[in-house]
Amino acid sequence: MNGGPLIHVVDDDQSLRTALLRLLAAAGFEARGYASSGDFLLQPLPERPGCLLLDVRMPGPSGLELQAALQRQGCALPVIFLTGYADVSSSVRALKAGAVDFLSKPIERKALLEALHRALERDARQRRARADAVQLRARFATLSVRERTVFDGVVAGQLNKQIADELAIGERTVKSLRSQLMAKLGAGSAAELGRLAERLRQLSDA
Amino acid sequence: MTDAPMALVCAHIRATGITASYARRPATSPGRLVGARIAAFLLAMLLAVLAPPLLADAPSRNVLVIYANGRLLPANFQADGGLRETIRTSSARPVSIFDEFLDAPNFGGDAYAEIIANYLREKYASRPPDVVVAAGSEALSFLLQQRSTLFPGVPLVHLAIPLPLLRSMHLPRDVVGVPVEYDFSLTVEQALRWHPQARRLVLITGASPWDREWEARLRREATRFSGRVTVEFLAGLPTDAVRRRLQELAGDAVVFTPGYFVDGDGHHGTPRQSVEAIAAAAAVPVYGPFSSFIGSGVVGGYLHTFKDMGRQAGGIVNALLAGSAPASLQLPALMPNSLQVDWRQLRRWGINADAVPDDAVIDFRQPSLLERYRAETIAAIVALLLQAGLIASLLFERRRRRRAEAAVHLQRHELAHASRLAIAGELTGAIAHEINQPLAAILSNADAADLMLESGGDRSNELRQILTDIRRDDLRASAIIQRLRALLSRHQAERQAFELNAVLDDVASLLRGEARRRQLRIAFKHAMKPVMVAGDRIQIEQVLINLILNAMDAVVGIADDRRTTVVVAVEQIADGMVVVSVRDRGPGIAVEHLPKIFDSFFSTKRDGMGLGLSIARTIVDAHAGRIVAENAAGGGARFQVELPTARLPLLTAAPA
Repeated sequence: MNGGPLIHVVDDDQSLRTALLRLLAAAGFEARGYASSGDFLLQPLPERPGCLLLDVRMPGPSGLELQAALQRQGCALPVIFLTGYADVSSSVRALKAGAVDFLSKPIERKALLEALHRALERDARQRRARADAVQLRARFATLSVRERTVFDGVVAGQLNKQIADELAIGERTVKSLRSQLMAKLGAGSAAELGRLAERLRQLSDA
Repeated sequence: MTDAPMALVCAHIRATGITASYARRPATSPGRLVGARIAAFLLAMLLAVLAPPLLADAPSRNVLVIYANGRLLPANFQADGGLRETIRTSSARPVSIFDEFLDAPNFGGDAYAEIIANYLREKYASRPPDVVVAAGSEALSFLLQQRSTLFPGVPLVHLAIPLPLLRSMHLPRDVVGVPVEYDFSLTVEQALRWHPQARRLVLITGASPWDREWEARLRREATRFSGRVTVEFLAGLPTDAVRRRLQELAGDAVVFTPGYFVDGDGHHGTPRQSVEAIAAAAAVPVYGPFSSFIGSGVVGGYLHTFKDMGRQAGGIVNALLAGSAPASLQLPALMPNSLQVDWRQLRRWGINADAVPDDAVIDFRQPSLLERYRAETIAAIVALLLQAGLIASLLFERRRRRRAEAAVHLQRHELAHASRLAIAGELTGAIAHEINQPLAAILSNADAADLMLESGGDRSNELRQILTDIRRDDLRASAIIQRLRALLSRHQAERQAFELNAVLDDVASLLRGEARRRQLRIAFKHAMKPVMVAGDRIQIEQVLINLILNAMDAVVGIADDRRTTVVVAVEQIADGMVVVSVRDRGPGIAVEHLPKIFDSFFSTKRDGMGLGLSIARTIVDAHAGRIVAENAAGGGARFQVELPTARLPLLTAAPA
C-alpha cells in the first residue's frame, strides 16, 4: 500500500480528527492527522499521491494560510476545506485558490468521499501531467542543435526549403533531421509537433 | 351685629339646659326657664344702669338663719346654698344673711338657750333681722321659746321641720314654712324592688333623743314590711358593735338608717359620719332618708334635698322682705321628695339603670371620658387620627419606595439579563462552532462505525472505542449548551457560595470558540487553592465574559502574536478578598476616559451601547465588591474585580 494515496487531515479538534482518521481508514484510505498547520509543515511530506483535508480556522496559521504556503512551495496536493462556519468569503477564496471542495461540518460521508475521489483524481491527473512534461523535456533535451533549429522552424510554420536556406543545408537534410526529431519527440505529424511545442512553452513559462 | 348676642344666648341656653335637665329632670322647660332668667337678668342690668341715683340710699335688710346643729353639718351647707341662691339681693336693695348655729345635740338645755338668746340679742341689736329662719327642729323650738324677747314681731320661716313635729306645735300665724316628711317606706319599697333577694331589713339608730325619736318612728312604720322581711334593729349600739354586726350580714339583707348623733358609747358625731361608718362596714346596700347622705356610701332613697328646702325658705324670705303678710302666703302642704341615688352605688350593687325610675336624680354619675374631658378627648382623638394618618402615609410611602426599589432591582436584573443576551448574541457564532465540533466528530465516528460493520469481521474493540468517543462528544456539546442556557436564563438573582476557578472554566468553555474565531488566545490562570465566593455565579460569569470580550476587542487587528493573548488570573490578595484580573496588551484606556469608563452609555466603541461595564459594576457592587480599571505597566488595560470570599463549605474543605 506504500504507493497508494495518503490523505492528510489537519484539524485542531482532536476528537474530530480521530473520528475522521477512523472514517477514512474504514473507507480504505491511508490517512495521517495533524493538530495544526505548523505540525503539517514540520513533517516531511512523502512523495505520494494524496490530498489534504484542512480545517479553515485553527489556532496559529489558518487553513487558508497553509494552502497559500503550500502553493508557494510548489506542493500541488489538492485541498478539501472543512469548516464549522458557513462563511462565503472564505469558501470563495479557498475555491479560487484551487480548493477541490469546501465542506461544512458535520461532514456527510458521501460528500466527503466524493470530494476525496475528485481530489485524488485531480492529484493523479496532475501527477500524470507532470510526468508527461518531464518526459517531454527529457526527449527535447536529446535533440541536437540542428534538430532543435529545424524544430523551431517547423513549429514556426516554415517550409523545409526555407529552413534549408536558413541553415544553408540541403532540403533533404532538413527532411531527415525533421523525421529524426519527430521520432525523438514521439510526434506523428506536424500538427502534433505544434501541440508539443505549445506544451513546452507552457512548461518553460511555469 | 345681632347674630353675636343671639349666638351667645343660644350657647347659654344649651349649656344651662344640659345642667338643668341633668340636675333635675322634672322642671319647667329648661329653655323657657333660662329665657326667663336671661330676661330678668337683662332687666336687672337695665335697672342697675338707670336706677342707682334713685335707690342708692336704700337700707340693708337683714336675714338671720339659725341652724339647729353644728356649722359643719353637710345638711346645713346644702340648706345655706339654697337660701343664698334664692334670696335676692342687689346694690339697690341689699340683703345681708347671717348664720348662727345652736350645735344641738351637743349642747342643749334651758341655761344654754338663755345664754344663746342673750348673746343673739346683744349681737343683733345693731342689725336687727327683718326675717329669721329656723333651720331644724331645735332651732324652731328655741326661737318659739325666745322670740317674744329676742326678736319680737319678726316673721319666722321654718326649714326642714318634720310634719309630725309641726303638728304637735301650735305655730303663730307669722311663723311659716313648708314642712318636710323624711321618708322611710317609699325608700324601703324601692330597695326591696332593687334587691328582691332581701329577706332581712336592718334598721340602725343611735342613742340621742333625736336618734330615739327616729327609732320610735321606724319601729312604728317597719311593721308594714314584717310580712315580707325580717325586721331587725341595731338601736343605740356602740359604733364598733354596729360595725361588727354589719360585717356579719349576708347578701340577703338591706340596711336603712337615719344615722345618729350619739352612739351606744356616748360618742358624738353627725348622722353623716355615722352613715359613712355604716356604709363602709356593711357588705349589703344601705339606704337613708337624708339627701346629705348621698356620697357617704348609701345607695340613696326618697329624699328632700336640703338645698331645695333652702330654696323654698329663701322664696318665703323674699316674699316677706317684699312686704307680704306671712299669713297671706300660699305655701305647699309638704316639701316634695324625690328618689335620689348614688350612681356608683347602683353600679356596686348591680342595679340596672333601667330599673331606676326616670324621674330619679342620679348623683356621681361618672361622666364618660368624652363628657369629662371633652376638649382633651377630642384633641387626643384628633392627634390619634393625625398620627394614624401620618403612620398610614409613612407606610404608604414605604410601600411605594419598596415597590420602586423592587422595580429598580427588577430593572437592573432585566438589564443584566439583557446584557447577557447581548453577550450570548455576540458569542453565538463561536458557540455554535463549539457545539458543531463534537457533532461533526459524532457523525464521522458513526459513519466510520457504519463502514466497519459493512466490511464485516470482528472489530468490536474499535466499535466500542467509537461509542465511547461519541458519548464523550455528546456530553461535551451538551455541557456547552447548558452553560449557554445558564447564561441566557432569566433566573432569580441568587446568593450561593460557588468556586471561582470553576467559573473560570465555564467562561473558558464559552469563550474558546470566540477566541478561535478571532485568532487570539485567552490564558486562564487559576488560583492554586479553591476560592469560594458568595453570590450569583451567572452574574459573576457575565462580568468576566464582558471584561474578556472588551479585552479581545482591544487587541483586535494587532499583528504581534505575543500581544494577542488576554490573561485572566485569580489572585488572592488578602484574607477575605479575592481579585480576578483581566489584562490585555492593547492600546490601553485613554486617561480622560478612565473616570467615566463605568458610567452608563459611555462607550468608545463604534457600535457600543455603553452598558456592559456599567452593568458589570452594578453586579460587583451588589456582591459587596469593587471593580477597578487601570492602565497596566507595560501597556494595555487591566481590570480588577475584587470580591469578598465566602467560607469554604465543609464538603469542599474536608478531605474526601
